[in-house]
Amino acid sequence: MKEAIKISNLTKSYGSHVVLKGLDFCVQQGEIFALLGVNGAGKTTSLECIEGLRKYDSGSIAINGIMGIQLQSASLPEHIKALEAVKLFAKWNKTPLDKEALDALGIYDFVQKQYYQLSTGQKRRLHLALALTRNPDILFLDEPTAGLDVEGRLSLHEQIRQLKAIGKTIILASHDMAEVENLCDRIAILSGGKIAFLGTVEQLSKTIGKHYNITIRTESGMEEYESENIGDSLLALLMQYKEKGETITDIQIDRGSLEQHFIKIAKGA
Amino acid sequence: MGAFLYGVSLQWKLDIRSKTLLITCYIVPLLFFAVMGGIFTSVMPEARYTLIQSMTVFGVTMGALIGLPPSLVEIYSSDIKKVYKANGVPLYLGLFLTNISAYIHLFIMSIILYIAAPLVFHAETPKNPDMYFISLAIFIAVSLNIASVIGLAVKDQAKTSMISILVFLPSIMLAGIMFPLELLPKAFETIGKLFPAAWGYKLMTESSFKYESLFLLLLFFVLAAVMCNILLRKIDK
Repeated sequence: MKEAIKISNLTKSYGSHVVLKGLDFCVQQGEIFALLGVNGAGKTTSLECIEGLRKYDSGSIAINGIMGIQLQSASLPEHIKALEAVKLFAKWNKTPLDKEALDALGIYDFVQKQYYQLSTGQKRRLHLALALTRNPDILFLDEPTAGLDVEGRLSLHEQIRQLKAIGKTIILASHDMAEVENLCDRIAILSGGKIAFLGTVEQLSKTIGKHYNITIRTESGMEEYESENIGDSLLALLMQYKEKGETITDIQIDRGSLEQHFIKIAKGA
Repeated sequence: MGAFLYGVSLQWKLDIRSKTLLITCYIVPLLFFAVMGGIFTSVMPEARYTLIQSMTVFGVTMGALIGLPPSLVEIYSSDIKKVYKANGVPLYLGLFLTNISAYIHLFIMSIILYIAAPLVFHAETPKNPDMYFISLAIFIAVSLNIASVIGLAVKDQAKTSMISILVFLPSIMLAGIMFPLELLPKAFETIGKLFPAAWGYKLMTESSFKYESLFLLLLFFVLAAVMCNILLRKIDK
């Protein structure tokens, strides 16, 4: 598989504050790659450097293909209609209007509405359509489902999967861990201006180790425990409750979500 | 070229939908003309000789300085510029499109005044119409360039309106369209000459090209264009 993006030793400072301390990673063609990080980790700066919206201090960025960018914080003139915006961008990029893609994104549902009349979900879909007007090989999606309802989110996930199916490389920045877990082939976790983790969701779970969350309900309330050794921990907890004379009404055991792993890595690195 | 022309026609539609430009380019100047035209020609019958020019200078100055900057602030002080940049649309496009659209609107408004003033107030048409329209074309371009500097330099709508009015009021009061410049105190006359409206009015009322007015208007145009270029580069960083 070829590399769509190759980042080498990327650094960026704002004054004396060093935001990126030598990033190194590759994104393979045709994969959905997530860039994660807590606020201030350098996620937006990295994305903007890669997208060409911000200058970087040193290092190199190699892009193999045309980029389409859907920004998290995006806007258009308030009186422009959806199709007019798409036509303007398509004409400027000398690309034909992809009516099928527009139809799939549901742009024709609100074609006569002006930008200020669109809902959050419709605006997100429109900005995705604008990002697609260049017929990009690589698509940057920054928080694509922020502010969307469940239906809108599922619909957009489906569209992202379809884009992957036709060979697009997708770089996703998101705070929605379920979204990342469902959609992404690989993830990079940024922490303190460096890559703290790079790999698949499964590899992340393995990196963290066998981490279990145990929730025990009794008649007097609910307690949560964390454990690396489920057998020993569960036995000890059952004994403990028996000694206290409390009746257990329910026990739940789960392996911890990606979000918990992410927070652990992002804060621990 | 096709993309550019589509952009111009789209901007024209957006301006009509937004109403702001309609108000500042048509409704207010034409209302001002209807009221002040009547007053001017009643109080000073000789005002009919320069009524077309004075009302046009007012309308163009108002349309440019009050109408254009908010559109530019909407584009360049918001996330719109990021969307343009991110998706291959050059940043100067917004500036060009809004200017061209406003230029056409202001020219149409000026033609309405040119036709209406003789009919309504028996105003005299300029002796040399060709020169008048060339002067008008230059004056509109200069006014829009000055307005563009305000729109690109100021970051929020409230401040833009305030600065636009601060430039608009002395432009109009001291341009010679309300009172002859010679009747004003020397200091006001000098201040008035710092604004292009005074030179635009002078050029439009002259029967032959006086190079002083033309040169100064072109100087205003070049200086404003250079500033727009610098401001656009700054925005692009």
